[in-house]
Amino acid sequence: MSGHDSKYFTTTKKGEIHELKEELNSQYKDKKKDAVKKVIAAMTVGKDVSMLFTDVVNCMQTENLELKKLVYLYLINYAKSQPDLAILAVNTFVKDSQDPNPLIRALAVRTMGCIRVDKITEYLCDPLQRCLKDDDPYVRKTAAICVAKLHDINAELVEDRGFLEILKDLISDSNPMVVANAVAALAEIQEGTTKIIFEITNHTLFKLLAALNECTEWGQVFILDALSRYKAKDVRDAENIVERVTPRLQHANCAVVLSAVKVILQQMELITSTDVVRNLCKKMAPPLVTLISAEPEIQYVALRNINLIVFFCKYNDPIYVKMEKLEIMIKLASDRNIDQVLLEFKEYATEVDVDFVRKAVRAIGRCAIKLERAAERCISVLLELIKLKVNYVVQEAIVVIKDIFRRYPNTYESIIATLCENLDNLDEPEAKASMIWIIGEYAERIDNADELLEGFLETFPEETAQVQLQLLTATVKLFLKKPTEGPQQMIQVVLNNATQETDNPDLRDRAYIYWRLLSTDPEAAKDVVLAEKPTINDDSNMLEPSLLDELLSNIATLASVYHKPPDSFVSRVRATVQRDDDEEYAAESLDPESSSAPVSEITTSVAAPGGVPGQPAAVPDILGDLMGLDGSADQQPMTRSLPVLLSASAGQGLQISGKLVRRNGQVVYSLMFENSSQIPLDGFMIQFNKNTFGLAAAAPLQVPPLVPGRSESVVLPMVMYQNVAPGPPNSLLQVAVKNNQQPVWYFNDKISIEALFGEDGKMERQHFLETWKTIPDSHEFIKELPSVCVNSVESAIQKLQATNLFFIARRSQKESRQELLYLSAKVPPNIVFLVELATVVGTAGVKCAVKTVSPEMAPLLFDALEALLST
Amino acid sequence: MGMFFSRFFTSLFGDREARILVLGLDNAGKTTILYRLQAGEVVETVPTIGFNVETVQYNNIKFQVWDLGGQTSIRPYWRCYFPNTQAVIYVVDSTDTERMATAKDELHAILEEEELKDTVVLIYANKQDLPEALESAAVSESLNLHKIKNREWAIFKTSAVKGEGLFEGLNWLSDTLKSKGR
Repeated sequence: MSGHDSKYFTTTKKGEIHELKEELNSQYKDKKKDAVKKVIAAMTVGKDVSMLFTDVVNCMQTENLELKKLVYLYLINYAKSQPDLAILAVNTFVKDSQDPNPLIRALAVRTMGCIRVDKITEYLCDPLQRCLKDDDPYVRKTAAICVAKLHDINAELVEDRGFLEILKDLISDSNPMVVANAVAALAEIQEGTTKIIFEITNHTLFKLLAALNECTEWGQVFILDALSRYKAKDVRDAENIVERVTPRLQHANCAVVLSAVKVILQQMELITSTDVVRNLCKKMAPPLVTLISAEPEIQYVALRNINLIVFFCKYNDPIYVKMEKLEIMIKLASDRNIDQVLLEFKEYATEVDVDFVRKAVRAIGRCAIKLERAAERCISVLLELIKLKVNYVVQEAIVVIKDIFRRYPNTYESIIATLCENLDNLDEPEAKASMIWIIGEYAERIDNADELLEGFLETFPEETAQVQLQLLTATVKLFLKKPTEGPQQMIQVVLNNATQETDNPDLRDRAYIYWRLLSTDPEAAKDVVLAEKPTINDDSNMLEPSLLDELLSNIATLASVYHKPPDSFVSRVRATVQRDDDEEYAAESLDPESSSAPVSEITTSVAAPGGVPGQPAAVPDILGDLMGLDGSADQQPMTRSLPVLLSASAGQGLQISGKLVRRNGQVVYSLMFENSSQIPLDGFMIQFNKNTFGLAAAAPLQVPPLVPGRSESVVLPMVMYQNVAPGPPNSLLQVAVKNNQQPVWYFNDKISIEALFGEDGKMERQHFLETWKTIPDSHEFIKELPSVCVNSVESAIQKLQATNLFFIARRSQKESRQELLYLSAKVPPNIVFLVELATVVGTAGVKCAVKTVSPEMAPLLFDALEALLST
Repeated sequence: MGMFFSRFFTSLFGDREARILVLGLDNAGKTTILYRLQAGEVVETVPTIGFNVETVQYNNIKFQVWDLGGQTSIRPYWRCYFPNTQAVIYVVDSTDTERMATAKDELHAILEEEELKDTVVLIYANKQDLPEALESAAVSESLNLHKIKNREWAIFKTSAVKGEGLFEGLNWLSDTLKSKGR
């Protein structure tokens, strides 16, 4: 038995990869090719075949195009995981980029662009440069895109090698495809940076317009998008562009049409002649309408776009298309066409789709609110609908009529009677609440208002909060309007109910307020409850002008479909750049109050990607809550701005960061407490050990209880010379913090002397000179700060002045190009520092000389100067 | 007669190719030698970042010649190519006296490799067309060739640009491989 069992050990595991390796090294071309195919197959199903890297790469130099393509495919996938070995492929790329076959040249340059390995990018520049100037347009256009990819990996290299210039030259290429790709590459590069790299000039404009007619549809999209970013010089320029772009509206590709619309809209801003604008609008309308008759998805996109720019629904449209069409119709509705629109809406309101019907009824209401003159007709349409007695139509109509009442108070009360007929059918909270509101509001005109309300009151405890609130208010209104016995009883019941038998704090509080108002001063109650209400407005044109502008410039992208700026749902390079700025800002501002502003910005930008339409941005927060990470995103910049004194790992989950700063002429300890432990922490107290400057808390520490996941920043006012430590001065500040749950935490901080500089440290020049002379030279201390570099004397002075290091005088030494600065500062009560700084602007190295009566303080000052000047 | 011989060699090697590595420091002339052997002409070369591979038919033997880049950064990856190798052609720039010691170290490091223990080593003392080139004896001395034990080796003075000495070396190589095969 023993002899036979060994076979189980020889054939398994080692098998596949080993076999492949062997086959890859085979001298038979067919076997080799099959092996590479097997490797690729394994790769596509997710097996890791990266250990075959060299063996596959060794198959790269082959005449066989198929094999070469397979190896390239492998390279794109695995070069990243084998960055060192990727260098072995370089020579083949170099060779292939000189191959007589343009297909191989293009293939090589395209693959090179896809290999995102920093180490080898440098070697690939020469082949790329060659390919950019290749005779074959196919190679050139591939190389153009490759530049954009390379720029993403190593922007500096691209600029150094002058690839951007070559790209710009390619805009004037004889081949339109090359032009289109060069434009696409430049636009892509431009998006990633803030530097102006790609600007359309008069010359390039002409070239682009010429290429527009000849290149493929997707090339046209690139060029049109670039054109939409071009600011026309004058009206003629703009008209010229529009004229050349207009034919694109007839294109079969919807992306081209939308991009063309974008360009035209952009240029239309400049065109003053209303005739031309109207003409253009007319021209843009048919293509967009044509798109609507295409597939539903494209329809939707087109409709969302029409909605931005500012007709009828088919019964078989998908619901989202119908909804969007309704929106548009509401926007388009005007006094002239309202009859037609209303007729259409009425038609919709009788359809079978419940959601759509509701939306249609709402649409009628919004038209009524928007167009005052049409309100009456709208009401009559609504009444007709109510008479249909279809339950959900009636309910929706009542909700809408409530809005109309608010918009036009005291105008259409005649219809209340009709509404009341349908009371029994109401089962939805919103409709009920609306009806109750109407009854309450017009209690004096409804003879049997009390009866009606009483009917509702019977079921008070079962109603939803919304209805309960309305009932409460309506009853109070009724009572105030008809202070008779019946309502009085009712109000007793309601108030009792609302205050004693409900768990809803809103309801209870409102009930208490009414109760108190009614029992103390009924007149005041009348004033409050029956006060004039602001009339409501239609919100259908809610898009802000600035947002609209941005969206217009993003037509044909997802942004215009979402009706949101692209930054809010695409996190790209630009967004991260912004975030960096915010963080820097947060790092600069030392006091927590002002740094809370950027913090909130960061939170929104973090939360926004979740904010796809209909998706409230709260989702990440909920997640954060669940995982006990609430606010973890917005704490980062805070903690970054304050140095961490006690890390969460050392403090059993409590992290304390802080720094001594000066605010409003007072020394304060800016602190931040973060609780990442599992238990709530409270009862925080702080104590300082004796220190050189006798710093101590001027008031008790006020930290609110910290539930897990919370962070709190506080500012603790400090006093000086309370508990001075004897001995030579140092910057050590020993702090102890305790709370009710944890042991006492001890940690060390460094006193930054600049926080102690008083506002009264400024000296007259004369006084400075005299003091300088009176202090003996033995009290002068000199220190070189070799790593500090002053780039601008003015900003350095500003920085120093901000911390009460006052500028006295400045001298320039011609021969040594040195700038000499004289400054003074004072630490209370009377420690004066006289400072001389010598430096050559723009080169590292600052020489500091300090004269002071307290020589032992000089090192602290040097530290402060170094810190201040190097920020 | 010719038929007889070709069948004879086929039986020796099958139709297998002999796998040969061309190694050496950068700028020794490896790529130039490869294309001189393969195409019989002098091509313009750039430093090889990676490898070149060509098939050279000579003396009825098919050589699969791998020319590997000599840059310091690439030398560590030579070992990826060691398995299944029959011969190493080690190219030395005979004018580069300064780096002769490095060339020696690299050569002896290769010879230490377990995977190359059965290989035949052919050394080309290249660039003999230049006046300052060392004689093959001097190169042999600088490379400590006498220390090579248990292995067949030979040194030839060559000039890749003039095409001198290359095929003599290849002759020796094919003969040696044939006799080894026997």
